[in-house]
Amino acid sequence: MSTKHTKAADLFIENKEQQVWHNKTLHFVRDKRDKMAMQLPEWEVLRETAHKIKMHTITHLDHYLDLFSTRAEANGIQVHWAKDAEEHNQIVYEILQSHKVRKLVKSKSMLAEECHLNPYLIDKGINVVESDLGERILQLLNEPPSHIVMPAIHLKRQEVGKLFEEKLHTEKDNSDPTYLTRAARAHLREEFLTADAAMTGANFGVAETGDIVVCTNEGNADMGTALPPLHIVTMGMEKVIPNLQSLSVFIRLLARSATGQPVTAYTSHYRKPREGCEMHLVIVDNGRSEALSNEDHIQTLKCIRCGACMNTCPVYRRSGGYSYTYFIPGPIGINLGMLHAPKEYYDNLSACSLCYSCNNVCPVKIDLADQIYKWRQNLDSFGKADPMKKVMSEGMKFMFERPALFRTGLKMAPIVNHMPRPLIYNGLNDWGKGRELPQFASESFAALWKKGKVSAANQKRSNHEQ
Amino acid sequence: MSNKAAIINRVKQQIRTQYDMPVLPIKGIEYADKIAQFKETLRAVGGEAVELKQGEDLDTVISLHYPEAKTIASNLEDTTLATISPDNVNSAHDLKNIDLAIVRGEIGVAENACVWVPQLMKERVICFISEYLVILLDKNSVVNNMHEAYEQINFHDSCFGVFISGPSKTADIEQALVVGAHGPKGVLVILL
Ligand code: SF4
Repeated sequence: MSTKHTKAADLFIENKEQQVWHNKTLHFVRDKRDKMAMQLPEWEVLRETAHKIKMHTITHLDHYLDLFSTRAEANGIQVHWAKDAEEHNQIVYEILQSHKVRKLVKSKSMLAEECHLNPYLIDKGINVVESDLGERILQLLNEPPSHIVMPAIHLKRQEVGKLFEEKLHTEKDNSDPTYLTRAARAHLREEFLTADAAMTGANFGVAETGDIVVCTNEGNADMGTALPPLHIVTMGMEKVIPNLQSLSVFIRLLARSATGQPVTAYTSHYRKPREGCEMHLVIVDNGRSEALSNEDHIQTLKCIRCGACMNTCPVYRRSGGYSYTYFIPGPIGINLGMLHAPKEYYDNLSACSLCYSCNNVCPVKIDLADQIYKWRQNLDSFGKADPMKKVMSEGMKFMFERPALFRTGLKMAPIVNHMPRPLIYNGLNDWGKGRELPQFASESFAALWKKGKVSAANQKRSNHEQ
Repeated sequence: MSNKAAIINRVKQQIRTQYDMPVLPIKGIEYADKIAQFKETLRAVGGEAVELKQGEDLDTVISLHYPEAKTIASNLEDTTLATISPDNVNSAHDLKNIDLAIVRGEIGVAENACVWVPQLMKERVICFISEYLVILLDKNSVVNNMHEAYEQINFHDSCFGVFISGPSKTADIEQALVVGAHGPKGVLVILL
C-alpha cells in the first residue's frame, strides 16, 4: 500500500532528529496561531465572514474581475490576461524584453512557482533574483520550497551556513542565524540596487479601488518595487475581493493563521505606478475557472495561502514538504494537485489521516478533509484505487451486511491477543508497520451493552478490570 | 494572447450556485486603553512607542534615540534633523545610505501595532532602505482594530500606502527570529 508519498516520507523520517525538530517547530507555530486566535472574541465570526466573502466573490468573479481591472487601468496600471501558465510566462517575458531588463528581483510568489516562471526566464537569459531570504537560500541551493510560507523550513542552520560560506563567502563554520541574515541582507541590498525591474505576487486585489495588496515581513517586496522603473504583479484571479472592508477581515486572519503574528510587518497597497515608472498586472486563470463549476471542490478557490493547514497536519509535520508530489504540500496541496492533474498527483491522497484538524484551523473554512475523502471515493474513476484496500473494504462490506457473522468475528477477536507476533505483524499487514495493535477487549461493547454493564461509571470500572 | 473578454466570459460560463455577500463591517475587539494596547503590541513585534511630553523637543528626543545617525532622510517640517529629502533626489537610488528616516503616520492600530503610512513623498524607498525608522503619529488617531482603520485610510491621491508594524524581520533560518531582514532594524513611533 505504498504511494509516492509514503516512499518519500520514509526518506524524510530516516533522519529521526530532523523529523522530530520539524514536527515540533511547526506545531509551535500552530500553538502561536491558537494563542492569537484566542485573543480575539470575534475569531470565529471572522472566519465565517471570510468564508462568505470568498464564496460570494468567486461566484460573482466575472463582475469583480471586470471591476478590479477597470479600476486598476484607471489608476494607470497596464492589465494583461493569461489563460494558462505558458501565456503568463510569455507575457512577463515580453514586458521584460520591451524594457531591456537584465536583472529582475522577485518577491515570493506561489503563482510564479505554479507557472515555472524562473526556469523559463533564466533560460531566456534573464538574471532572476529571489529576494525573500528563504526563497533566496533555496534558489542558491537549486531546490524548491517545502512550505508555502516558510519555504526553507526543512533546512538546518548548518546547511545554510555552509551554503553561504560557498556562495556569499561568510566565515567558516559560522551558522548563527543573525550573522547569516545580515550577510544575506548585504548581498541582496546590492541586488536590489542594481535590478532593472521588480516582480511581486499579490495577496489580494481590491475590486473597488484597484489596489494590489502584498503582505511581507522582510520588506523585500517594498524594497524591490521602490527602486527600479518597472513593477510587474502577477496574480491568480481568485485573489480578487470586493472592497477595503473585506480586506480588513482577511488581513486580520492572514498572519495570525500563518505564523501566529498579529499582522505581517508590512501590508503594502499598490495603487498606481510610481512617478515616471510603469506598473503591469497579469491576471491568470490556469485552471481556476474550471474549478468554479466543480461544486465538490470549488472551495479550494477561497484559499489565502496562509499555510496553517500544513502546520497543523500531523502527516505534513512528520513527512515534510518534499514527500508530496505537487509543488504545494499539505492538505490544500493535495486538493489543488488533484484539481490540476488527478492522474499525476493522486499519490498525495494517502497523506491524510482524516483527522480534520485542517478544516478547523483554515481561516476561510475550506472543507479540506471532506474534499480529500471525496477524491478517495472517486479513485476508482481514475483507475487508481489501491487493490489491497479494495479487497479490505469489499471484505468489510461483506461483514457489515451480515450481522451474525460480524458478531461472531467480534467474539473471536480477543484470540488475536494470544497469537504469536509473526502471525500478526507480517509483510501482509501494512497497517502494522510502525504501529502496535491494541489489545482486544475480552467482551465487545455490544455484549456489555446487552448485559446492562454500560453506564459511565461501569464503563470506567470495566476498563480497569480488563 | 488571451484577452479580458474571453477570460471573463469563460468565468461566467463556469459559475453555478451564487452566494450573497455577508453584512460588513463586523464588530472588532475594543480596548479600554487603546494607546496602552498599541504600545504593548508594538513592543511585542520588536518596535517601540514613546509619547512626546509637554515641553519636550522632538529633535532632541530623536537625537537621543539615535545618537549615531548621520544621514537622515525626511520631508517633514516637524524636524530640522533631515540631511536629505526624499523629494529632492534624481533617483530613488540616491537614498541608499540612509541611517534614519522620519515619516508621518496617520492611523495607529491597537490590535496589531500597524501604522498607516501613505506615500506623501516622492521616493518612498526611505521607509524601507534606512537602517532605522521613526514614525510620527497623533495619539488621537489610534483606533482599536483593522476594521476601524480601513474605514479611515486615505491615500491622498498618492500611488502607495503601507501599514507598518514594527521593524523588518525574518525567521527563515530555523525559525529563529532576526530583526532587520531587508528593511529597518528598529522602528520608533513617537506619539504626539
Ligand atoms: S487551505 Fe486554508 S489553511 Fe490551508 S493555506 Fe489555504 S487558507 Fe490557509
